[in-house]
Amino acid sequence: MDLNRLAARRTAVLAVEVPGWSRTRCALEEHVRDRGWRLAGSPADADLLVVCGRPGARLTAAVDHVWSQLPGPRARAEVTTAADVPATLDRAAAELADGAAQRRDAADRPADPDPGTTATGDGDMGDMDDMDMDDHDMDDSGDMDMGDMDHGDMDHGDMDHGDMDHGDMDMPMPAGIGLAGGGDDDQLPDPDALDLDVLHVPLGPVLPHWPAGLLLHTTLQGELVVSARAEVLLPAEDAPPDAPVHGTPAGRWDAVATLLALAGWDDAATRAARVRDALLAGGQPPEAERLARRITRSRLLRWSLSGLGRLPEGDAHDRLRHWLEGTEQRRSTELTAVAELVTGLDLATARLVVASLDLDTADRVTVPAEAGS
Amino acid sequence: MTVTEVSVGWVPMAAALLLVVAAAAASLDGALAARSAGQPLGGGLLTPVAETTRLFRQRRRTTAAADLPLQRIGGAGLLTAALLMVAVVPFGRWTVADLTVGIVWFNAMDVLVWAAVWLAGWGPNSAHALVAGYRFLAQALSYELPLMFALTAPAVAAGSLRLGDVVAAQSGLWFVVWMPVAFGVFCVAVAGFSVWGPLGAPASGVFTEASGVDRWLLSTGRYALLTAGAAFGTTAFLGGGHGPLLPAWLWLLVKTAGLLAVLVALRRRLPVVAPERFAAPAWLVALPLVLLQLLFVSVVVVVQA
Repeated sequence: MDLNRLAARRTAVLAVEVPGWSRTRCALEEHVRDRGWRLAGSPADADLLVVCGRPGARLTAAVDHVWSQLPGPRARAEVTTAADVPATLDRAAAELADGAAQRRDAADRPADPDPGTTATGDGDMGDMDDMDMDDHDMDDSGDMDMGDMDHGDMDHGDMDHGDMDHGDMDMPMPAGIGLAGGGDDDQLPDPDALDLDVLHVPLGPVLPHWPAGLLLHTTLQGELVVSARAEVLLPAEDAPPDAPVHGTPAGRWDAVATLLALAGWDDAATRAARVRDALLAGGQPPEAERLARRITRSRLLRWSLSGLGRLPEGDAHDRLRHWLEGTEQRRSTELTAVAELVTGLDLATARLVVASLDLDTADRVTVPAEAGS
Repeated sequence: MTVTEVSVGWVPMAAALLLVVAAAAASLDGALAARSAGQPLGGGLLTPVAETTRLFRQRRRTTAAADLPLQRIGGAGLLTAALLMVAVVPFGRWTVADLTVGIVWFNAMDVLVWAAVWLAGWGPNSAHALVAGYRFLAQALSYELPLMFALTAPAVAAGSLRLGDVVAAQSGLWFVVWMPVAFGVFCVAVAGFSVWGPLGAPASGVFTEASGVDRWLLSTGRYALLTAGAAFGTTAFLGGGHGPLLPAWLWLLVKTAGLLAVLVALRRRLPVVAPERFAAPAWLVALPLVLLQLLFVSVVVVVQA
């Protein structure tokens, strides 16, 4: 068998949903599944980058940055309607299999990893969620979107990086990245009282199983989010979006699939996505009821979700049950509330909590909101 | 049945066998994934071959200011630890290394995994990978102590740390029959050090920045660890090569494959448990239970003597 075709069987697709295009993203996921492909968990894992919808300027910049993080061979596509998905995937697959084009692409890329916009930029680097391309954001003190690191001169770790600004080149900035540091201004009391280094990590806007366009600026101490600020990156103006999926039965199953995927229950997540796609196609999937029973009955799932993202009407598992039973109440979650809910959680739990809120980012005014301090 | 140590020349064969069984486990996982996606099972069975082809033609990606030497050591560490684990497992009448402290050796190798996973998380210089590396250590703290005591039970029963003696001691009755708790704890710990199934929470984070051959090493290493764990579990609890009709090596293979299939299928059935939630049941339930199991085994051994 041709090696290209063999490798193409496992093509990994990184799906980027622009607020307003969840119908297209659902169609993309369905076709990816039907081809035996799979969704990528991070840019490093992806062969294809498919943008669903027409992103605005900041979201485009973030997508461009993610594109530079795909290892290659790679291909990129944009799709705006569910009907266009098959043809778009065919074209992208052909591009991926085109050896000559891929070699040209590889030759044009810099050999060294892209550290984003280096010291004068936002200290961005090859980190999957490091897609914060916002200009004004650079002025935030010490917004170093960086992992913790050892560059062989750890004595600098003791220096004060709390309020560094990016033009300050006295600071050791290996590969153009500022070090995490014990910040005096930034430092907030953390539950373990460890006074760990302060680190600024943006979550989103391109992150699997994450609300479309949501950008959560988090400040970490250790693995805990000590403060957060949420905003939504907008689609291009005048772009006609899809019919909404949120608030329909299919939308509820989409939320179920998203939450289960993050909870690491791949099997149930895939089946929930199939139910969603059958509903979107206008069918009444007979397996829905059995799957709902199976999910509700899982004790391990109840145990791992209970107490997460507690709102007046219940926790993450309660919301999951309401989605499955179709008894959830439509409510609008303010972005400030999102930021408050994730404060004090570790990264993985924060993602679970955000998924459990089932935010409809297409349906809100973008108001950057601060919380947690 | 005596176990003889074969010459070093057989080591590549042992490694190849480990990889073949690990690939079979990946095939099974692919087939099960294809079934839940509503796809033909046949396509899923090809998963390890297709994924290997895909990753071998993918560019190796590096991140800015990565700690490359440590990242590579961590990446290769999982597969290495798995190979060193199976080295002491008797394959029927033969073994690669007939160590007098085989059980302790296995235990030492599974602790090696701590370092490997953490280094793989540390190396890429990325917050997600680093956090996942540390979260694996937290998880390891939970499963390691119960695992150590679970491993002690067969050693006490056999009166030896040599795996050949452990197998010989099960000629009448498999250890799993009278030490089921130790076996259960052992299986959970195998999922733990393979970063698999319900204990696979740190895996996606550690894998975040890995591509190409680096990702292949990590993911193959996980399947190899799962395989090595199943082979060791078969030897220590399921009677090793004991069984009617078939030769001992084939029995070992069949039982290992069975245990491995159960471990692989488990992943489809269960969601993951966050490391911080896992700590309480591991220390408050599993540890006392496995200590009671050990007490029971010790009393039986003393009474029989």
